[in-house]
Amino acid sequence: MSAAGPGLSKQQLLVIGGGLLLVLPMLVVLGMGFGFDPHKIDSPLVGLPAPVFELPALSDQQPVKLASLQGKPAVINFWATWCASCPMEHPGLVQASRYYGEQVQFVGIAYEDKRPALKAWLNRNGGDVYPTLVDVGGKTAIAYGVYGVPETYILDEAGTVTYKHVGPIPPQVLKAELDRLL
Amino acid sequence: MNSLLGQGSILIGLACAMAGLLVGLQAGRTRSAVGLKQTRGLAYGFAWSMVVANAVMINALLQRDFTVRYVDQVGSHDVPNYIAFVSLWSALEGSILFWGAILGLYVLAFLVATRNRHEDMQGYTLATILAVGAFFAFLIAGPADPFGAVTPIAGKPHVGPNPLLQNHVLMIIHPPMLYLGYVGMTIPFAMGVAALLRGRLGAGWMRPLRRWMLLPWGFLTAGIVLGGWWAYEVLGWGGYWAWDPVENASFLPWLSATGFLHAAQLQERRGVLKGWTMVLLMSTFALTILGTFMTRSGVFNSVHSFTQSPIGPIFLVFLGVVLVVSVVLIGLRVHLLEPEGEFHSVVSRDAMFVVNNLLFVAFTMTVLIGTVFPLLAEAIRGVKISVGEPYFNLLSVPIGVAIVFLMGVGPALPWGRATPAEARRALAMPSAVGVGLTLVAAGFGARNFWVLATFWTSGFAAAVSFRDMAAPVQAIHRRRGGSLGSSMAEAYRRGRRRYGGQIVHLGVALMAVSIAVSWTYQTSTEIVLDKGESAVVGDYTLTFEGREQWQEPHRQVVAANVKVVRPGAGEAILQPRMNRYTGQMSPIGTPAVKTRIGEDLYLSAMQIDDAGEFVGLRVFINPMIYWVWVAAGVMVFGCLIAMWPPKERHTAVASAAGDPAVEAA
Repeated sequence: MSAAGPGLSKQQLLVIGGGLLLVLPMLVVLGMGFGFDPHKIDSPLVGLPAPVFELPALSDQQPVKLASLQGKPAVINFWATWCASCPMEHPGLVQASRYYGEQVQFVGIAYEDKRPALKAWLNRNGGDVYPTLVDVGGKTAIAYGVYGVPETYILDEAGTVTYKHVGPIPPQVLKAELDRLL
Repeated sequence: MNSLLGQGSILIGLACAMAGLLVGLQAGRTRSAVGLKQTRGLAYGFAWSMVVANAVMINALLQRDFTVRYVDQVGSHDVPNYIAFVSLWSALEGSILFWGAILGLYVLAFLVATRNRHEDMQGYTLATILAVGAFFAFLIAGPADPFGAVTPIAGKPHVGPNPLLQNHVLMIIHPPMLYLGYVGMTIPFAMGVAALLRGRLGAGWMRPLRRWMLLPWGFLTAGIVLGGWWAYEVLGWGGYWAWDPVENASFLPWLSATGFLHAAQLQERRGVLKGWTMVLLMSTFALTILGTFMTRSGVFNSVHSFTQSPIGPIFLVFLGVVLVVSVVLIGLRVHLLEPEGEFHSVVSRDAMFVVNNLLFVAFTMTVLIGTVFPLLAEAIRGVKISVGEPYFNLLSVPIGVAIVFLMGVGPALPWGRATPAEARRALAMPSAVGVGLTLVAAGFGARNFWVLATFWTSGFAAAVSFRDMAAPVQAIHRRRGGSLGSSMAEAYRRGRRRYGGQIVHLGVALMAVSIAVSWTYQTSTEIVLDKGESAVVGDYTLTFEGREQWQEPHRQVVAANVKVVRPGAGEAILQPRMNRYTGQMSPIGTPAVKTRIGEDLYLSAMQIDDAGEFVGLRVFINPMIYWVWVAAGVMVFGCLIAMWPPKERHTAVASAAGDPAVEAA
């Protein structure tokens, strides 16, 4: 690029300046895109009463109603044994349920799954310290608008959905949301 | 073992690319023959390492070697071997590795094609290609490493690649075609950079450059249309194009490349628009990188995109480097881009090429703005919006019709200048053909203004193309006599580029009409049929005959048997399906399509009752859709003809003789 010499001609400066003026804003706009998650769509359920359900528990097959969980904040975690990121998420939930103890009701809802597989999975991944319900036919997941597992819903003591998280819920997010309610 | 082999070859590739970049720049600057030889050696080293790394990955996928991270992610014992093979490009890391392989193959082709030729340009060209190669090798070696070793976890389910990719055979050919298009743009870009660095933009370099652009252009054309065809056969919403960001990402470089191919001819023949041609060339490559960024950064919301990944920012930096280097290079060489010729008249082929180029740029900007606008809106106003079909159609339909119109006017007018009388004579017959075709369309019931306009412009342009192909045959035949066949062969031999170009134009005209009709006159209805019940849709009587279910290795299939009867055409059973894949929560529908010359009957199952008592169907009638695929085939065929390397002596002699018959379109 020696032809240009030390000083650039007016024409060269004009082309380079104009070109950069055109190109740089576009890069900035694209760069700003990183701050946003295009897949994040706020759940319409937030602020509304959580859809009721009555599902059999994994342990004893006894039906459990949503109403029986109410009276304190609740964490409802939809998951499945075939989901890739659930094994990563589960230890955090187990730990949180131990940390909050009686203050918060944790419940897992297994989606599109089989009982033996669920039991084996729980044994492998930290045990069942809180109840797991089996969503037979996936009706509850549909009522909650589950898009993919894992998904976590946080309910206040009146049973109103206060937060929805898509994907594995990070412990600090879980803690922040629950501390807000307590 | 596979991990180690793969990582090793990528590191060798990276080292070759970086060394080749430096040696190539030096060789380009000093024009050293030894330096060039070394650069070529390093380029071979890069290319083969990429090919070997891909072979290792394919081997690992076929062995289901779950100690390799990528295989652990997308591999599965449940899928047949061809799906395991295709998994190579089914997720982010593999797709970048595959990108490397394609670049490697292009580099090999380029090295072979330029052996003992264009030696003064090769150093810079190879350096630029290897700079791009180094970037991708770096991605594969680090941020998007598919070869990382993992310890297999017992009992971990391996569900295989995304079910949508397992659903149709087109998915096996569509991505490679698209990649061949995308990645191939690297070669003409590098040739352009070399021309700017060297400060020489002569026709001797522009001609091979144009051919190296035609090759990926043809692949991209095929890739885009195959993608549309796949969407049509698999996704079940009855259409083939939705202005989705990722579709747009493939269309953008196609538009600018098409603009380039036309501008380059004007530069070659008239010595004008040099700077413009370079801008289009650089933009085309930048748009391929932008497209790759779009699919892999997680920034755009699209049905096609890979999941959010950390390589987005790295891609953005690369895109920035490409853009800034292009701008600075063009700026520094602006004195070389002065026109040598000048425009004589607005009534000329030259002027039509300029307008054509403006339209292609307008089209590119329309699509680009529509694609990027949601980002802008979210950044500035914090709202989520999506730019939908209405915006794209509003602008792209008139621009498209205008482009087809110019596709007729341009070749009909002579280079330089035409008198009004000449212009009238040249345009009269094609206009009449256009009117005829429009009347035929109106006779079939078309009333939409834009559809009729498309018929008119397409008929007009097609007539020009046919005349343009027939004229040299007539001229030769009149002069030399003999058989018509030999005249045709002679005309074709002398004007291969012209024939290629005009065949592409015919394909475009057919495409325009097919898109207009299939898009405007699609009808759809939703019906629920009980077992044994019938319904009439259009000319067809549909009867639900029951449910069928079977197991395939990687999926469970539930199909509805729908008997289709059309008066006078017998009957057929169509089977719209629901496929359930291991580890996938909702079933994925596969529509059933019955194709006829005039229209497709397209059944998409919404719900198939478990007991087989009823079925919910969406029924589409899609007129002329079949011709969209045919038109694409015609375009690719024309591209092949235009691109085929000429037997050099012939071209040279014919050009020197100044025979009007070799004036390509």
